[in-house]
Amino acid sequence: MSDNNNLDPFGLARGWMSQWEKLVNQHGTELLAKPEAAQAMQAMTGAAMQMQAASQEASAKLLAAANLPSRADFEALGARLGAIEASLSRIEQSLRAVAPEVTPPRPPVARTRKPPSQSPGN
Amino acid sequence: MATAAGAAPSAVERAIQRNLKGLGYLGSSAPVLGASPKDVVLSRGPLRLYHYHPLTDEVYRVPVLLVMATTNRGYIFDMVPGQSLVEFLLLRGYDVFMADWEAPRPEDRAWGMKDYVEDFVGGSIAEVQRLTGETDVSLVGYCMGGVLSVLWAGLNHAAGPKNLAVFTTPVDFHQMTLFQAWSDKRYFDVDRLVDTVGMAPAEMLLTAFDMLRPAGRIAANFALLDNLWNDEFVKGHRMFDRWSNDMLPLAGEYFRETTKQLVWDNALMEGTMKVGGRPVELGKISAPFLHVTAEHDHIVTTGASAPLLGLIGSEDKEQVVLKGGHVSLIAGPNAVKRMWPKLDAWLAEKSV
Repeated sequence: MSDNNNLDPFGLARGWMSQWEKLVNQHGTELLAKPEAAQAMQAMTGAAMQMQAASQEASAKLLAAANLPSRADFEALGARLGAIEASLSRIEQSLRAVAPEVTPPRPPVARTRKPPSQSPGN
Repeated sequence: MATAAGAAPSAVERAIQRNLKGLGYLGSSAPVLGASPKDVVLSRGPLRLYHYHPLTDEVYRVPVLLVMATTNRGYIFDMVPGQSLVEFLLLRGYDVFMADWEAPRPEDRAWGMKDYVEDFVGGSIAEVQRLTGETDVSLVGYCMGGVLSVLWAGLNHAAGPKNLAVFTTPVDFHQMTLFQAWSDKRYFDVDRLVDTVGMAPAEMLLTAFDMLRPAGRIAANFALLDNLWNDEFVKGHRMFDRWSNDMLPLAGEYFRETTKQLVWDNALMEGTMKVGGRPVELGKISAPFLHVTAEHDHIVTTGASAPLLGLIGSEDKEQVVLKGGHVSLIAGPNAVKRMWPKLDAWLAEKSV
């Protein structure tokens, strides 16, 4: 095994990497479980959110000045499309209740399968 | 000496293959995943309900509805031919449906737990019943898909399901110590996050999952370099790497309610969980129940998943701990060998 490792450039690194992975996972998770780590992570998330919100606000102002639709406009449009889709779905369901589909899209399969233990011959 | 002489050609061969195939890897396209023939039979918000085309002339009477975890894509159940749970179940004669998820759109931010449980899981069950003409449906959920399935069953215990199987499903969220630490109320303002960005961003969720094993990504990339000569390893790595990076954002309200009710209040474990104002009564679930957990699950630890069995009221209930991790339990060679046959053996008798 050691002879093989000597010939394989990855042989030595393999053992080292395995040890390193165990150590980092063990100590890293211990460290990340500490309240200070959670606090730092949430501070970073909070800062990223603030930046995103500020950038969205600035973009909206710019787009409004250029007479272009903003993200909020597209979201409102999406919401209206969603409402139309929901209405269509309700109409589709009502139509199905009145006039069920005459031809199924694929021929139905028999729902008669038995488990191997109940099949003839067992 | 003889060992060294014998090993030399193999080691040199591997080194050459590593270089040659490494170049090929960089230039090749990723494998096509989730390609089993199917129809999208219901589309609502982020929900996509698939009906897979049967592969046998005769199927079991009771259809199977797979419910995917809300943070990830459902093609983990349908990787490639030979490594697809969906294909396996189809070949074993099941009529298979899957509730899969797309990334919620900005206007989907208001979908909450009630929508996910009643409209998406409940709506999927209703659609499966309509399409098959059967009132009985087997629910099979993975991770948070398992939580949604259990919640639906706990709200609708009189109506079914016929069978309930879940994989690596958390119930005692206080045992998920890292997630608990990171969502500590003192530092994590979920209202501010949801109210500001509308969603739980996929990047944030991916980082959180990555940090459960801080060295995992580097070690996985090293293992890839080391095994570039091995086509099967490379194929598997590409599939799982693509899937694990293909994370979905979560609708804001759903994330807010999950954080407050499940993670902070541990409501499912405490028996105080309500969805849309209705109590979730796990003790009244009477359907045959199977919980499959993984021995080395670093995401949903044994402490978080094991108590579920005791909370379910069914007389016919079973928990099975199999070798593997959170993902290798359900997909890949380990799953093919262990979990899939177990699921089939449990489900077949109950599907007639």
